[in-house]
Amino acid sequence: MKTELETIQTEVLEQLKEVASPDDLETLRITYFGSKGKLKDIMKGMGKLSEEERPIVGKFANDVQATLTDAFEKTKKELESQKQRQQLKGEVIDITLPGRKPAYGKAHPVIQTLERIENIFTQMGFQTVTGPEIETEHFNFDALNTPPDHPARDLHDTFYLTDGQLLRTHNSPVQIRVMESQKPPLRIIVPGKAYRVDYDISHTPMFHQVEGLLVDKHVTFSELKGVLVSFARQMFGDQTQMRFRPHFFPFTEPSAEVDISCTVCQGAGCRTCGYTGWVEILGAGSVDPEVFKAVNYDPEKITGFAFGMGVERIANLQFRIPDIRTFYENDLRFLKQF
Amino acid sequence: MNVSLKWLKTYIDFDFSPEELADRLTMLGIEVDSIKHLGAGLEGVVVGKVVSISPHPNADKLIRCQVDIGDENNLQIVCGAPNVYQGMFAPVATIGTELPTGIIIKRAKLRGEESHGMLCSEKELAISDEASGLMELSSNLSVGMPLTEALGLNDVILELEITPNRSDCLSMLGVAREIRAETGNTINYPEVALIASDIKKDTDIREITSVTIADPDLCPRYAARVIQNVQVTESPTWLKQRLESVGIGAINNIVDITNFVLMEYGQPLHAFDYHKLGENRIVVRRAMENETITTLDEVERKLNPNMLVIADAEKPVALAGVMGGYESEITETTKSVLLESANFHPASIRSTSKEHGLNTEASYRFERGVDPEVVISALDRAAQLIVEIAGGTICKGVVDVYPGRKKPLKIRLRKDRVNFILGTSIEVEEIEQTLSRLGFRIETNQTEVDNFDITVPSFRLDITREIDLIEEIARVHGYDNIPTTLPKGDIPIPPLNKHEKVRKCIRNFLLSSGMMEAVNYSFIHPNCFEKIRLNDDHPLCEATKLQNPLSPEMSILRTTLIPSLLANAQHNHNHQINSIALFELSSVFINGMEPYRVAGILAGEIGGGVYGNPYRPPDFFDIKGIAEGILEVCGIHGYELKQTEEPTYHPGRNGEVVLGETQIGIIGEVHPGVLENYELPFKAYLFDFDIEKITDAADFTKRFEPIPIYPSIQRDLAIVVDQELKSDMPMDIINTTGGEWIESIRLFDVYEGNQVPDGKKSLAYTITYHSATETLTDKAVNDRHDKIVQRLNKELGAELRM
Repeated sequence: MKTELETIQTEVLEQLKEVASPDDLETLRITYFGSKGKLKDIMKGMGKLSEEERPIVGKFANDVQATLTDAFEKTKKELESQKQRQQLKGEVIDITLPGRKPAYGKAHPVIQTLERIENIFTQMGFQTVTGPEIETEHFNFDALNTPPDHPARDLHDTFYLTDGQLLRTHNSPVQIRVMESQKPPLRIIVPGKAYRVDYDISHTPMFHQVEGLLVDKHVTFSELKGVLVSFARQMFGDQTQMRFRPHFFPFTEPSAEVDISCTVCQGAGCRTCGYTGWVEILGAGSVDPEVFKAVNYDPEKITGFAFGMGVERIANLQFRIPDIRTFYENDLRFLKQF
Repeated sequence: MNVSLKWLKTYIDFDFSPEELADRLTMLGIEVDSIKHLGAGLEGVVVGKVVSISPHPNADKLIRCQVDIGDENNLQIVCGAPNVYQGMFAPVATIGTELPTGIIIKRAKLRGEESHGMLCSEKELAISDEASGLMELSSNLSVGMPLTEALGLNDVILELEITPNRSDCLSMLGVAREIRAETGNTINYPEVALIASDIKKDTDIREITSVTIADPDLCPRYAARVIQNVQVTESPTWLKQRLESVGIGAINNIVDITNFVLMEYGQPLHAFDYHKLGENRIVVRRAMENETITTLDEVERKLNPNMLVIADAEKPVALAGVMGGYESEITETTKSVLLESANFHPASIRSTSKEHGLNTEASYRFERGVDPEVVISALDRAAQLIVEIAGGTICKGVVDVYPGRKKPLKIRLRKDRVNFILGTSIEVEEIEQTLSRLGFRIETNQTEVDNFDITVPSFRLDITREIDLIEEIARVHGYDNIPTTLPKGDIPIPPLNKHEKVRKCIRNFLLSSGMMEAVNYSFIHPNCFEKIRLNDDHPLCEATKLQNPLSPEMSILRTTLIPSLLANAQHNHNHQINSIALFELSSVFINGMEPYRVAGILAGEIGGGVYGNPYRPPDFFDIKGIAEGILEVCGIHGYELKQTEEPTYHPGRNGEVVLGETQIGIIGEVHPGVLENYELPFKAYLFDFDIEKITDAADFTKRFEPIPIYPSIQRDLAIVVDQELKSDMPMDIINTTGGEWIESIRLFDVYEGNQVPDGKKSLAYTITYHSATETLTDKAVNDRHDKIVQRLNKELGAELRM
């Protein structure tokens, strides 16, 4: 009987290899395990066995049954996964067809740059304020220590309106407006538009500036350097070098023009930086005592610094657009690039 | 201003290379724009003499020249220049030279004849554009001499950008002073000592001329000398080369000397032909009404009493400090020269120069301020040079009228203040050294330690306050040597800025909804209003005009963003881009106010334009959806949309967004007439909101509402109503009848056509019922739903559609 069982086991395992469908598997199952199956037949012979043989053959029979059940189970799973594989094979799609991209807009490149600048200064505790673009001579020039016959006015080609009004040539008038209405300490930045009569590949008659002002009881030139170096590192990268050159602005003293190591050649010298390794990015300085006097601050008790930068210029250090006027054509092929 | 290093070195010694010097000056605040090595590329070019010429055997247009360049043997050079002749001195580029133009000189055979170098034109040497023939050199030169030496081109020119406050640097001596501040080297001032034998003792200047200053407010000082029996000729080579090196053309020896001294001292001088001055005398006065003068550039100019002139007894002979007069100019027949060295009021010179559009070396300096104390040194220096170069004798004495004499300025300087302002720890010694090298006189204050009394030199007109001295110390100390620290003061607490928050929320929403951000100029063309169909009396047409616009296209300040966006759509359409979704957020200019607006345009097609996401034209409800989104992100609810007659929009497809009584914006389809004006072949939709009004209404408070714990029940409802019925009316009834159980009402279909009778339409809603306090039963919901159906039927005649 043991031999018979062994034969059955070999037979079934052999046949399982041939099974190709769940139906075949079921037929096979019934043939051997069904109520009239071959295994049942053999088991009928148990009764004829001796007392000693019975437990031994019984255990053997259980083992065979377990082995075969496992084998059936395994074959069943294999057949199922084979079926699923077959089905998935038929569901192949062309993954190179276009994605259904949700529409999303892009901020204007100048405004993107403006926001980056704004965010860096906001983190340093500067508050954003705005002011009118139509200004008076008083706020745009006189209160900024630039009297009517000052040669520095030549540097600002001004758009005039009626009644002595003008379009602000820089965002500095907002300094005056804030100081006139608030007491120190002040930490402000003024992002916004300014205007000058200029129209060529590197100038637009309307441009964006970010002006900054920090006023308190004791503000030093070294702190101006600290704030701007920290700005430059965040804006242009950790490796950025900064250079402060003495310069002249009527509303700051000492005044500086500030260069950073060229973002194109890292200071080695190239066309962008005119082979100097440096590119100018902003003007700055300690607030001139005359400006404090114009807003009734006592320059002996209050000190401060101010800075101003052109956003298009800074944007273009990154974007390198040959004609800066392209910014304001609002060509979608252009806007989508940034 | 251009500075010749060769010239500069005659006043001060320094060891810097030109690049190093440029760097040092730049870091002192004298920015160097360019460094020009004059003779660059001409190292292999020498002076040659054409000893003999003979025709080329194989070419009619070529000539064989034997050229002496100082070597043992003459060179044979084949040349095609028409002006070559035997005995001519011309530049020879020797074998191996690479000229600035890129030409490399090699031994060559030209049509079978050997050529050992090249005879050059000015263009080939990059000296000028002259290319018609060989450059002819003076026959006084020695053959073989390097051309750079012969022409004074062994020099380097620095182009300086002098800031408006530093007029004291507009001269060689001024720049030398900056180098002294940097190095401590001494300055060799020109020796001005009029030699006794050059002075005509028997003629006293006071007997032959006089100077009257009628308007001393505009002329603080006027000095003159007279030099007789001069010979006006061409200047000697050294003088011409000096002037040419800094970009000033040579005219004649007298004028060249005045320009030389101008560059040396920064003091503009003028030479008059003494005999052409009426009564041979000078009157400095304001011009009279309707007076005229013909200036050196031969232009007749009208004068007025705001302008200062130098006159003789009868008429103006010079535009003071700007340009001399044509009639009294120095010519070859001039025998006696009246030399002017004067000082004028900056503002007056500035306005005169501006009014006449005349910007000269003299006016440039006077309008920035010239040292009044240098008048006599410069005058004597020029007189001395005239005698040396043009002969003649100087009349005894000098006329020096000086009504504007000022005491030297003294300023108190506190060491502690220097370091307080700069954040440094600069010592007394450094302060003393810096200021004395810059020409300041320092007295230590006896009673106050570390405080000084500083006397400002007369040439430093820009220094009037302690802070000016602190800047001097800072720049010589070096800005790079000032520490870099972070501000120590308190950070002020910024107030809440609702306006800014509104702008940010709206902008973020628009960007995330697929619209691209545009930025346009604030200027527009006045015809824009007509193009968007506004009548002249429309309030938006009241725009501010620019007095000095760049062009008509940019001549008024915009009162609305709409024309800019339509122009953007036109630009893009003209460039075959037809998927247009743009917005702009900016202030506009209305009645002296600058309110912010946000406007946008959808036009052409929307969608990805790809398989599965095809293009489709936008419609009114796309723009309405965006408008609803804008209001939603600002927490604005309960507004109405009311049709308007705004002429820019399609009369039946627009609406103003009204909150209470206030219009906060308008949306709609663009009127076909406007589309035509902007040459747009497709429909366009606009929104245009007032950020100020939105800010007033915006509500950013957000509160938690419990998430429903009881299930909701949905019922669909399709009704047939009159075609004209607005869809919000059934909505209202559903809402009020459903009461607190209504969670949402969604209109999911609108249908007109075969399935419904003519003049009717079908509206289909999904209504979601929900209660916050209990689980709704089907029966309860059905009862409520039936009530809704009844009311719809009773009030709107709505029939259920099965």
